Amino acid sequence: MELKTYISPGCFDESLAEGGQPRAASRVLVDFMQQRSFKEAQELQKLADAAIARQGISFTVYSDQGNIDRAWPFDIWPRTIEASEWQDVERGLAQRLKALNCFIDDVYNDQRIFKADIVPEDIVLSSKNFRPECVGIKPRYGAWANICGSDLVRDASGQFFVLEDNLRVPSGVSYMLENRAVMKQVSPELFENLHIQPVGDYPNRLLSMLSSLSPQEQGVAEVVVLTPGIYNSAYYEHSFLAHEMGAELVEGCDLLVADDDCVYMRNIEGLKRVDVIYRRIDDEFLDPEVFREDSALGVPGLMRAWRKGKVAIANAPGCGVADDKVVYAYVPDMIRFYLNEEPLVPNVPTYLCRRDEDREYVLANIDQLVVKPANESGGYGMLVGPHASAEEHETFRQLIIDNPRNYIAQPTLTLSTVPTLCEDAIEPRHVDLRPFILQGKETYVTPGGLTRVAMVKGSLVVNSSQGGGSKDTWVVDTEVDYVV
Amino acid sequence: MLSRVAERVYWLARYIERVENTARMVLVHSNLMYDLPKKIDMSWYRLIELISCEQQFDVLYDAKTERNVMQMVLTDYRNPASLVSSLQFARENVRTTRDVLPKETWNRINRLYLLVKSREDDVLVRSRRNNLMEEVIESCQSIVGMLSGTLSQDETFAFLVMGRNIERADMTSRILDEGGFFLGQQKHLEQVQAYENVLWANVLRSVSGYLMYRQHVQTEIDGQGVVMFLLNDIKFPRSVLQCMMMVLKTLDDLPDDSGVRLAVEDLKDFLACRTVFEAGSKELHDYLDQLQQKFMYLNDVIYQAWFVPKHVAA
Repeated sequence: MELKTYISPGCFDESLAEGGQPRAASRVLVDFMQQRSFKEAQELQKLADAAIARQGISFTVYSDQGNIDRAWPFDIWPRTIEASEWQDVERGLAQRLKALNCFIDDVYNDQRIFKADIVPEDIVLSSKNFRPECVGIKPRYGAWANICGSDLVRDASGQFFVLEDNLRVPSGVSYMLENRAVMKQVSPELFENLHIQPVGDYPNRLLSMLSSLSPQEQGVAEVVVLTPGIYNSAYYEHSFLAHEMGAELVEGCDLLVADDDCVYMRNIEGLKRVDVIYRRIDDEFLDPEVFREDSALGVPGLMRAWRKGKVAIANAPGCGVADDKVVYAYVPDMIRFYLNEEPLVPNVPTYLCRRDEDREYVLANIDQLVVKPANESGGYGMLVGPHASAEEHETFRQLIIDNPRNYIAQPTLTLSTVPTLCEDAIEPRHVDLRPFILQGKETYVTPGGLTRVAMVKGSLVVNSSQGGGSKDTWVVDTEVDYVV
Repeated sequence: MLSRVAERVYWLARYIERVENTARMVLVHSNLMYDLPKKIDMSWYRLIELISCEQQFDVLYDAKTERNVMQMVLTDYRNPASLVSSLQFARENVRTTRDVLPKETWNRINRLYLLVKSREDDVLVRSRRNNLMEEVIESCQSIVGMLSGTLSQDETFAFLVMGRNIERADMTSRILDEGGFFLGQQKHLEQVQAYENVLWANVLRSVSGYLMYRQHVQTEIDGQGVVMFLLNDIKFPRSVLQCMMMVLKTLDDLPDDSGVRLAVEDLKDFLACRTVFEAGSKELHDYLDQLQQKFMYLNDVIYQAWFVPKHVAA
């Protein structure tokens, strides 16, 4: 296959530098691909698709009625990152989550950061993710957000930026693991000849992190995964993680809070105490006694049990207060304030529409910017200025004027690309990266993460619910000699 | 183990067993159709009677043709007792219990489901249908084998064994009843008597009992012998007695089983006090009817013992 003609104009390509030269971490991969014809590459893709269908790796899109699973879209050209470069990112991500946890703990306790005038009190207290019910609580190790999925992108220069921090119920990690399993079937030769950092340790790390949160010092912690059930878009992942950890996968109706304020699950032999809940349902649905009364997914009394320290909940209720695109803009300041360090991975420059001068700039330059609502996820409700119509620009101008607190804007980054198997050729497609960071007693960052790819030419939307696909992500140790 | 998960595992085993039995039934029935002379009133429609779906069949189909019967029994999603429905239920049960089962369980059920779905048209062509049925049976057996080879003999395993054996016993009694019923209806025909052995041999085959009957009973194959073998043989894994003994054994691994143990013991007593039945007689039919009632009762006490959530601490 001829890759000399491959170009990704104006973008940083993860595999091929300008002139078609492979980057160090991609050298063996590019050799491998070059030795194959396009047809052979398509055969490999078919192999991967068949493995995915066979293993029933699927995801759910809310709008698909009746059809609760779709095959997971996967591309066989992996994204590679050099290990030495990754090390810096890893440190930056750990640093960031540490600061975010200091912030959440501070918001619900001393509120030092407001007093020091670093973050304006009103934007935090007005966030719909601020939960007054959490004030005064001190989770173990000061860790509120125990599992974080931060989205990283690279701009044209190749610099990594954090695009957002997903602190509520981040998903995608099972696909990271499955992608690796599929890739090992597609190109076992490459794994034999390259030092690619393994990702398979994640379930162990997750379990030991969750166990470290247990309120009971003695014995083995009873950890459960709380799922909203089979119709949730991430159900596949919930069962996958429960299976991999050997934890029970429970639904709200399997749990109850007894008069002693402890949480129990309904077992065949009677009730059994639960120590740690890895919840995959949003705050609002956790406890109908405290949040939404109509929630059938939650457990009445759960907040009471948590507040009394009888059960650990990961992520802790209320931690979404730091998962807000306005608060995001202040993370570099938080790092300086709490850790007295400089941020190792920068933020994307962000305009806060609540600030008069920022708003004016955004309204004037909306066709150049990406506008996002502060509290949505999954790529919903956002505007990509350069790709939108004048009418859409006008709609968003009005939305911003009506509710400035709720919007932020960022320059449209030229996201990096990875060669991708398209209909008739290998073409560049834009990618982002979601690594997963764990913080309990200890901190852990996945080597790499989930690479999402916008399968439509030129598109920047990588969400699987909106036509995105995924790739395996290889953190390659190039300093270890290749075994030939 | 969660009550909800236990219930789904129990049904998973029942559905896998049901899929296998359905495939086997179709295979054996096809063979029988080819063996018996045209004069004998043996139709494809008997399959519908065997799975007790006559009413629904009348609603969904106009003629009792082979094509319609096969669709109804194998690939019609509107029929909850069809092979593909059972398979779909099995798959949904695995999907919601993946955390307690080996990973291959899902992969294999999923693969089997995709296989049957992709070959729905094959059921209308006799040669390809038989082929497909054989593949289905093989897949079910490999799932059961894989589970036996990888699961610890814990509560999950106990519920799998329990579900499988209850479903099996139920199917065995059903096949006996229908085989007898058929004879009872036709006994006045001399031609039938000439083919009676063929019929009973096929009844045995439909529960994979032909070889074991030959080896262990060592008499010629006749109605009385087969009835006794399928109800009371102590070693044959599909006899009702053996199934009940397997259920009894699972109780050692489960908490607080008193109600269930009593119900199974009662079933065993009921099997022990049988008199010799004439195949096709009303006595046998009544007896099997009572047996079915007892299976239903057993299912109820199992629900009470483990699946209906309790509110007391263990």
